[in-house]
Amino acid sequence: MKLLLPILGGLANIAIVLVLAPFFQGVLRKITALIQSRQGPPIWQSYFDLLKLLGKEDIESGESPLMQRFAVYLAMATVLTVACLVPMGFAAPMNAAGDVILLIYLLTLCGICTLLAGLAAGSTYSLLGTSREMMTMISLEPLFAIAIVVGAVHTQSFRLDTVLNGSVYASAAFPWSGVIMLGVMLLSFQAFVQRVPFDISEAETELMEGPLMEYSGPKLALFKYAQMAKLVIYSALFVTLFVPWGTGLMFPLGWLVFWAKVAGLVLLVTLVAATHARYRIDQAIRYFAVLLLVALVALVLASYGY
Amino acid sequence: MTFTPEQAVVASILLCVAGAVLTLLVSRNKTAAGWLAFAVTAVTAAMIISAVANVLTTGPSAHPALFWAMPKFGFALRIHVDGLTAVFLMLTALIAVPAAFYSITYMRHYEDYGVARYYPNFLLFLAAMYGLVSTTDMMWFFFIFWQLMTLPGYALIRFENKKPENIRAANKYLIMMQIACVATMIGAELLAVTGAKVSASASLKYDFDTVCANLPVMLVAKPGMTALAFALFLVGFGIKMGMWPFGQVWLPDAHPAAPSPVSAMLSGVMIKTGVYGLMRYFLWLVPPAAAADYPLAKWGLVVAVLGTITLFTGTMQALKQEQSKRLLAFHSIGQIGYILLGTGACMALLPAAGPNAAALAAIGFFGALFHVLNHGIFKGLLFLNAGSMLHATGTQDLNKMGGLMKFMPLTAITAIIASFSISGVPLFNGFVSKWSIYVAAVQGSSSAKYLAVCAVIAILTSALTLASFIKFFGVSFLSRTSALVTAHVAKHGRLEVGWMMQLPQVFLAALCVLLGVVPAIAFNVIQAALNASQHSFGVALAQAAPMTGSLLCGLEEINSAALFAPVALAMVLGLMFAVTRALSKLGAAQRRAAAPWLCGYAQEADCHRYVAHNFYGEIKRYFRWLGGKPRPQPGKEPDLKEH
Repeated sequence: MKLLLPILGGLANIAIVLVLAPFFQGVLRKITALIQSRQGPPIWQSYFDLLKLLGKEDIESGESPLMQRFAVYLAMATVLTVACLVPMGFAAPMNAAGDVILLIYLLTLCGICTLLAGLAAGSTYSLLGTSREMMTMISLEPLFAIAIVVGAVHTQSFRLDTVLNGSVYASAAFPWSGVIMLGVMLLSFQAFVQRVPFDISEAETELMEGPLMEYSGPKLALFKYAQMAKLVIYSALFVTLFVPWGTGLMFPLGWLVFWAKVAGLVLLVTLVAATHARYRIDQAIRYFAVLLLVALVALVLASYGY
Repeated sequence: MTFTPEQAVVASILLCVAGAVLTLLVSRNKTAAGWLAFAVTAVTAAMIISAVANVLTTGPSAHPALFWAMPKFGFALRIHVDGLTAVFLMLTALIAVPAAFYSITYMRHYEDYGVARYYPNFLLFLAAMYGLVSTTDMMWFFFIFWQLMTLPGYALIRFENKKPENIRAANKYLIMMQIACVATMIGAELLAVTGAKVSASASLKYDFDTVCANLPVMLVAKPGMTALAFALFLVGFGIKMGMWPFGQVWLPDAHPAAPSPVSAMLSGVMIKTGVYGLMRYFLWLVPPAAAADYPLAKWGLVVAVLGTITLFTGTMQALKQEQSKRLLAFHSIGQIGYILLGTGACMALLPAAGPNAAALAAIGFFGALFHVLNHGIFKGLLFLNAGSMLHATGTQDLNKMGGLMKFMPLTAITAIIASFSISGVPLFNGFVSKWSIYVAAVQGSSSAKYLAVCAVIAILTSALTLASFIKFFGVSFLSRTSALVTAHVAKHGRLEVGWMMQLPQVFLAALCVLLGVVPAIAFNVIQAALNASQHSFGVALAQAAPMTGSLLCGLEEINSAALFAPVALAMVLGLMFAVTRALSKLGAAQRRAAAPWLCGYAQEADCHRYVAHNFYGEIKRYFRWLGGKPRPQPGKEPDLKEH
């Protein structure tokens, strides 16, 4: 019983993420098309894309194909593992296997795998994309870490179920730190899910997908799938950290409210992505640096109990 | 015949000195001298490890063992192996053996230099480190062991003495170490009292026991003088360990200049003697009765803030480097910063009144001491990797490397394990120690507010470390084969190093993974070490026993407010890996190898490759003021456009 519940919960989370991710992507594409006065692909197109890619020829351009394969499998495996660490309408399934620091590092590991894949592919464009992606990660990771640490400081705990439960607002006084972090995360969320205006590392118009440029067939399918899954997982994380209201409701209701909130966030991402132009890498870094300074102020406030 | 731990240490020191003489005699034959040095290292390491095991399981000797006294001058050779010493002895033995084994083959590739200046110095250097962490004399034997470490170290750094930059690096090292020595000895003199008697046989002015007994009076009577003494200790040991701002002066020049196995020893073990000194003098010298007069929390603030500055500056400067060993050397500064932060958090929280303060202080200390071990292991491994790369390609310049994984698969795998370890990827050892330090710093911020900011800067720096090692690994082992590598393959046929150089790398890589998946081993060792060094603040640290957990179920801290179960995580991750792999085979897609697409060009010139120099341009530009500009290579014009 002690092991059964986490296993079932984990499987449920993985299944939901795998099923929903292409759907959200489909919605995203459809809405983007509508905003740009196009008809757009059918909502189910992303499922077909993935299936088709799985059967396409798998061209390995790098000199160390073993590393290419390893990076692809590890990228998707990490995303799925993270799915088991995030509460999605229920308690986090792998609550007893790690805490929020592990979560921060596993989310970084997903990113690293794409970088390793890009480096292993050996094209100059991939390397250029890798360098940009890494710079974005350097500036983004602390923002998410500060949001988590603010929660951990408020609740004096690192447990997933405690922190990923609106903990940023859990201070005795008015939670200024939580409110500031909400603003910071909203302003940087596009970058976490690698959408316009912060899809700098992929930039299909200049870098031709950056680290993924040389990938095709099942490897590309897995990378694309992992990216779609990341949108769902980051949205779920955002909801649990910053929009916790209503998750305590009875089973079907609380669960539905949770996914409605996630869908709302995906919609927001889509709207921003469809109406903005891409930033240059130096502009983006300056933007994140300002957010980082604001976030540090929030952290100091949090350690003083606000 | 059984030795006491103290006798084992003295026997090891004497054996190393005898070995130094013997290797000097047979130094005409490089291989024989190498095997002899390895044999001596292995025997002393076995003696040390068995002594350490003895101390950790059955407890330390009640009193330091007196070997040689000169009461007229007030000094005596007293050796004591308690838990703290045991951990550092274990680290020394653990890194020295692979380094010595690696040297046997590695040293043969130097055509212009004999080994007469190498193996004897290597053994003396090792003997000094055994002695320095176990002597209880703060003055004369400290001085002797310090010089015994510094002078052979100096000779080893200037081993390739036909290169003027190596001589400059060695001179800098020598000067800095002498300043550190003087600072520490003045500090000891300030705390010493004339004519104090510790045991019936000798009156020892500078012994730990004398100073410890005298400190309660000193702290009340001369607080300023005592504070000055501790500040001098911080400076002296700070220079040794590479703390900002002292580390940047000598460390990045000295580490790359030495032969790679010595770099591994310098970075893996030698700079840790500074950490040992810091821990010993700040946490194990003041008797508990005098704790009220001793501003430990303030020293904690100083150490934690210096640690945070050290870790950020060191890592940011490392990010700019384009020479493999210079990059690693800057990372040594960065990683020492983590150790300092953990120690500082421990010192800041130990006197605090909060409910979990003692437990959090102990977690910080666990993290710091575990990071000492981890850094020794992965940085030793990384320097051996860099040595293998240097051996294969003849250069330290990352800009000229590329595609080595195809030719050196085993070195590549060990290098990525080490890179993952140092960047704190979960399931590798670096993660667990960093995790403990973060837990202590973040939760401790209720007692010491600044610690939360320090923790976040440390997390940010962890991303920088990762960026730096993605570059290090990516441009040398992945990317595309460079002209230089192609030329070397054409000349030598194969690049992978022989098994005698592979074995030490595999051993250290295995340790990285083992301690990452079963960190409870290390935590049990550290707890045993604390139990075996119960004096001064060690009592409080040992009693806090903040970790629970078992070998398989992982670790829990402060009533499971923080937890990590690596075995469960590894199982889930492995399962998901298998699922993903199966998923990719679902469509039965054909695999084909092809050249990367170059936008229509048939092939790419070597000068158009994306190299180490090109990485992270924007970040490097924003942090130009921080210094640490990479050295332009001889024969290559510095690229002015980028700056």
